[in-house]
Amino acid sequence: MVDFLQLVRNENMKIYRRPRTWVMTLIMVTLVLFISIMWRIFSKGETSMWDVISMESFVLFLLVTIFTVVVSAGSVAEEFTSGTIKLLLIRPWSRSKVLLSKYISNALYAALLTIILFASSLLLNWLLFGLNPSDAAKQSTVPLPGEMAPFAYLLRFYGMKFITLMVTMTLAFMLSTIFRSSGLAIGLSLFLLLGVSSFVPLLAMLDYEWINYLLFMHLDLTKYIGSTVLEDGSGSSLSFSLSIIGAYYVLFIALTWYVFNKRDISA
Amino acid sequence: MEQPIVKLQNVTKKIGSRTIIDQLTLDLPLGEVFGFLGPNGSGKTTTIRMMVGLMSLTAGEILIGGYSITKEYEKAIRHVGAIVENPEMYKYLSGYDNLVHYARMIPGITEHRILEVVKLVGLEGRIRDKVKTYSLGMRQRLGVAQAILHKPRLLILDEPTNGLDPAGIRELRDYLRLLSKEEGLAVFVSSHLLSEMELMCDRVAIIQNGKLIDVRTIKGDETRADISHMLIEVDRQQGAIEALLAAGLNAAAEGNHSISIEANREGTAFINATLVAAAIKVYSIRAQVKSLEDQFLEVTGGERIG
Repeated sequence: MVDFLQLVRNENMKIYRRPRTWVMTLIMVTLVLFISIMWRIFSKGETSMWDVISMESFVLFLLVTIFTVVVSAGSVAEEFTSGTIKLLLIRPWSRSKVLLSKYISNALYAALLTIILFASSLLLNWLLFGLNPSDAAKQSTVPLPGEMAPFAYLLRFYGMKFITLMVTMTLAFMLSTIFRSSGLAIGLSLFLLLGVSSFVPLLAMLDYEWINYLLFMHLDLTKYIGSTVLEDGSGSSLSFSLSIIGAYYVLFIALTWYVFNKRDISA
Repeated sequence: MEQPIVKLQNVTKKIGSRTIIDQLTLDLPLGEVFGFLGPNGSGKTTTIRMMVGLMSLTAGEILIGGYSITKEYEKAIRHVGAIVENPEMYKYLSGYDNLVHYARMIPGITEHRILEVVKLVGLEGRIRDKVKTYSLGMRQRLGVAQAILHKPRLLILDEPTNGLDPAGIRELRDYLRLLSKEEGLAVFVSSHLLSEMELMCDRVAIIQNGKLIDVRTIKGDETRADISHMLIEVDRQQGAIEALLAAGLNAAAEGNHSISIEANREGTAFINATLVAAAIKVYSIRAQVKSLEDQFLEVTGGERIG
């Protein structure tokens, strides 16, 4: 067990010793700072800090997703393109365990980015808006479902988003393993995620049964905050969405490990 | 001889309908530098990839230290240190961090051992620099360092002299000999450089089109007592043959100005004296040692890829 943690340490080293990781993280924090400061300047401090945090979280979580996909798509593919996969796999560790160590380190990076976004927007906006708020700014103007406290809402929002993020990361990880090209894995997973997701409302109008089983129909879990069953007549519920996501997740994982174990390394 | 560290038994690799490696059987004992020689595309690298578990076997079995590489991979590979093709490293990490990376994958490698290996391959001065600043020769050294880090009993090096300068090649050669003789490990070296193999190896297996053609022992020192084929350049070819015949020796004409004759060390001196006594000018006397290259071209029939 301790030995396996060394493998995760290795993968972490390969993520955090690269400048691009820190550039991406810095971009995210800078954007939080930028949006908050601009907002503060133009709103003259008459906004609730919770409104700013919600808005920033909603917009910037997209960056968390993109950066996670970039790192995750690179983790296997780059070992192949650089040829280091050969030296990595000729150690007394099964391929499954080497792959698992990579998967874990990617998941940790996704968690780190999520926490940094949450913490930095919370802290910055508390400093800019939360200290000595004017009367007008004390109340959030954005209606929260079910009279929820803003902080409780945000926790749920991040929780739901993180589940989706894990699925997206696993998709990128799978594509990276199958195609051994980080560019293709990044492009394809972002296309599937952002491109196809924009067709979701359109697809939802089609009256086919199988559409309900598409992964993309279920990736937005935040709509279930407040009520776990949607009342729009679609009949989808949080548990149904989670089952679909879970099924795809298991499929992605199985495929990734199968391909990685079977492949002849001839890079 | 000890139990061989590596046993290849009827190893076969097919990709599609092509047979890349055909029924290869080979034993490698400890304490030997074993060469694996073949033209480009003959299946050297494929064999090495199968030996380290990077490729699956279509048929046959590879045992390392008694463990099957396919069934007990983790136990079998523990004995192996290898460079497969070029020594590719993480360029954005320092040489030292690259070694730490591999050291973490095997329990019991201390920082002291890492530094010891760094010193051994002569990279002390640059080990803290990023690998992207390294020359090919330095990367090759780092490759050797990661391969011997865990004191393997079998060292597999694919084209190890690629990109090394003559001094580096010599150093590597001496080092491999030292490892095999003093630490008793088996070194398996592949190359298409015949002359290099001749200097480095104790035995050489020759492979062509995926088939093992021959295994030859290479003589470490040419013992001068052995009879060899002498080529003697003289001013009068016919006169020389007659003079030697008079002394009871059979020589044959070779080209326009030379004669050839079988002789040992003492015999050579006697021939020379005989010729000089007959007032024949001797310009040169050369022993015709059949080089590995000749042997190689002989067995492979000088055939090219295909």
